[in-house]
Amino acid sequence: MKRLLLILAACSAPDRAPHWRAAGNAQPHDGGTLRLSVKDELRTLDPAIAYDDVSSWVLHSIYATLVDFDSTLQLRERLAEHYAIEDAGKTLHFWLRAGITYEDGRPIVAADFKTSLERVLAMPESPFGQYLASIDGADAMLAGKATTCPGIEARGDRELVLHLTKPDRLLLPALAMSFAAPLPADYLAKVGAELRRRPLASGRFTLGAWDEGRRITLLRNPHLQPGDHVFLDEIDVLESVPRDTQFLMFERGELDAADRLTSADYVWLVSQAPWQPYLHRAVGLNAFGVRMNTRRKPFDDRRVRQALNYALDKDHTVKLLNGAAVASHGILPPGMPGRADLAPYPHDPAKARALLAEAGYPHGFDVEYVTFPDEEAEKVAASLQADLGEVGVHVRVALMSLSAFQSEVGRPDGAPFSFWAWTGDFPDPGNFIDVNFASRMIADTNSNNNTFYASPALDAAIDAGDYAKAERILYDDAPWIWNYHRESVEVTQPYVKGYEPHPVWGRDYTSAWLDVGPDGKPVPR
Amino acid sequence: MRGALVGALLIALLCLLAALPHRDALAPDIDHGLTAMGAPLSPSGDALLGTDDLGRDVFARISAGTATSLELATLSTLLALAIGLVVGLCAGYAGGAIDNVLMRLVDLVLAFPFLLLAILLAALLREADLASANAPVVLTLGIVGWTTTARVIRGKTLTLARSEYVVAARAVGCSPLRIIVRHILPNVAGLVAVLAALAFAQNLLAESVLSYLGLGLPPPAPTWGRMLFEARAYYRSAPWLTIAPGLAILTAVVAFNLLAEGLRARFDPKERR
Repeated sequence: MKRLLLILAACSAPDRAPHWRAAGNAQPHDGGTLRLSVKDELRTLDPAIAYDDVSSWVLHSIYATLVDFDSTLQLRERLAEHYAIEDAGKTLHFWLRAGITYEDGRPIVAADFKTSLERVLAMPESPFGQYLASIDGADAMLAGKATTCPGIEARGDRELVLHLTKPDRLLLPALAMSFAAPLPADYLAKVGAELRRRPLASGRFTLGAWDEGRRITLLRNPHLQPGDHVFLDEIDVLESVPRDTQFLMFERGELDAADRLTSADYVWLVSQAPWQPYLHRAVGLNAFGVRMNTRRKPFDDRRVRQALNYALDKDHTVKLLNGAAVASHGILPPGMPGRADLAPYPHDPAKARALLAEAGYPHGFDVEYVTFPDEEAEKVAASLQADLGEVGVHVRVALMSLSAFQSEVGRPDGAPFSFWAWTGDFPDPGNFIDVNFASRMIADTNSNNNTFYASPALDAAIDAGDYAKAERILYDDAPWIWNYHRESVEVTQPYVKGYEPHPVWGRDYTSAWLDVGPDGKPVPR
Repeated sequence: MRGALVGALLIALLCLLAALPHRDALAPDIDHGLTAMGAPLSPSGDALLGTDDLGRDVFARISAGTATSLELATLSTLLALAIGLVVGLCAGYAGGAIDNVLMRLVDLVLAFPFLLLAILLAALLREADLASANAPVVLTLGIVGWTTTARVIRGKTLTLARSEYVVAARAVGCSPLRIIVRHILPNVAGLVAVLAALAFAQNLLAESVLSYLGLGLPPPAPTWGRMLFEARAYYRSAPWLTIAPGLAILTAVVAFNLLAEGLRARFDPKERR
């Protein structure tokens, strides 16, 4: 009998409630290491080059910029004490805060901003040059015909003036990105290409160590900017950890936070009452859908594109994503300034069939849908295949490697029908609509406007800054099958306090602290 | 022989499973096949083996997957046997330089780990625009899996080529092709049957591995390996998604190994005695 009980005990479900609890400290206190993991590898710490999900928040921890977005998506001064938009929008004037320094204690001066911005303009491989194109003289630098940009003027140590050729509403929010962080010319000359692993921090953390592809450690900056405070001593990030492994490590207490959970882990977590207080949600600055090349048949016919929007059941997609998404009517996510008040296309197969018949496809058509290996993308593909099959559009799903996929969708003669998603660099409608749909963004290779959609009406609405009108035009012309906006969900251990995901940078541990015992260790439950 | 009978019975059961009428195995059933939270349904009277993360009936997918997996294993085994048989017969009968060249080719293929070579080939063939979705998997397993057959058949052919009736056939002027087809091939047929059963089990397993690594048939095709691949994130919250295809793979591999063992005993003159 005793043996049977032992066997039964061994077979019983493991206790999966949190193994630790908050120690109960009333006040936040300094100290401790926060342990995280990411699915991918960090490729570079050069702010003029790095442009992916992982580097976004790591660089934002290391580098500070003139302005920054707060958790309510408002643009606030950071290294700038204040700024002014002058000359009917053709001049941006910044006054720097007093006493700002790099990690080694040297002062940050206005010329350092000129150096880093000119460095971006001079680097053909930098993806950020176009954000600075409206600065006077930037065109010549981007074309490789000049080595300095007269439109970037450093007045003394504490004034930076940007002279523009025309008003550009996207420039100011773009300056919140890490590529616009200051870097002194002598430091750049000294480290050269090694900047990719030898950053000079102006942010809240500095680089402690980086074992590339395996682990990166960030340390609290010993020379924080005046008024800044960080509780954590250290952030330790493991690289290349698959999402399901990440959650196992989190449950075993080897990680203090886990995000981008698998569907199975997410469903389990939300059904467990003990974990609910430690789930952190944020609507991401993103849009997911199906892009159609509007120059290629049958997608050159607006009625076909509208029909496919009516055919897709967005409620199915939301359910497949376990409710961690909202159905979309366009590319602008909820909360975005200028977002039009429109309802998503309803699921109406009869109307879809009628529109297809009107467009000359009464029996539908066969089409290849291109995507890449990914749990979510493949689920959405299966749902799309079923819904479109209902109206006679037979979808064959083709999986491509991510690199092949990216090159395929940016060419006019590439795959005409594919998965697509856009994550905004900053919360401005122009960063969504202009980049993806303005006719000037069409190129023969790596085209940002990869639907090759060109509409004078849309261009005019963009130029007038009327994004609600632009959204209505896009809704009607439907260059995408508008599908959903993804919610980001992160879970932390009960002793991680003061943390909320940042709507722009994803992870931001500025105010996070560890409520652990006097010995610095988590307190068992 | 009892083992072979059990194996044959299990194979017959698998064929029956493949032929059973079942629900749609490909189309998601998001309205009825998932919980309100979008999670798979556990096994019940309505869905005998539960549903997967797209609401599809797992029993239907196992049934359809049995047909697909058996078809892929059959085609790839036939291809591997055909290559192995031709190479083995030519090398064993011709001997000399031809034997040397062909056996070094076998050594070259064997020098690469089976799985590594299969992954490389599968990745390359997936990029090629082949007419059938099955083709990359069949070609991969066929190209990688012929070497054992070639070696074994070559050894047997070497012995047979020196036997009196082959010498006599040669003396009366029979062509090499006629000697191989009429006198050698019938004598290696039993061996080929054993090799076929073993290769079949190996290809079933290899196809599952390729599918598990995402290099098998594209979605939504149901194969046992792909089902395991899709279930990997659910092994704790929906274990039925892993257990069902896992058991299917286990049953099939055991069945074909039992059959091979029985056939080996049947064609082995020492054991028959």
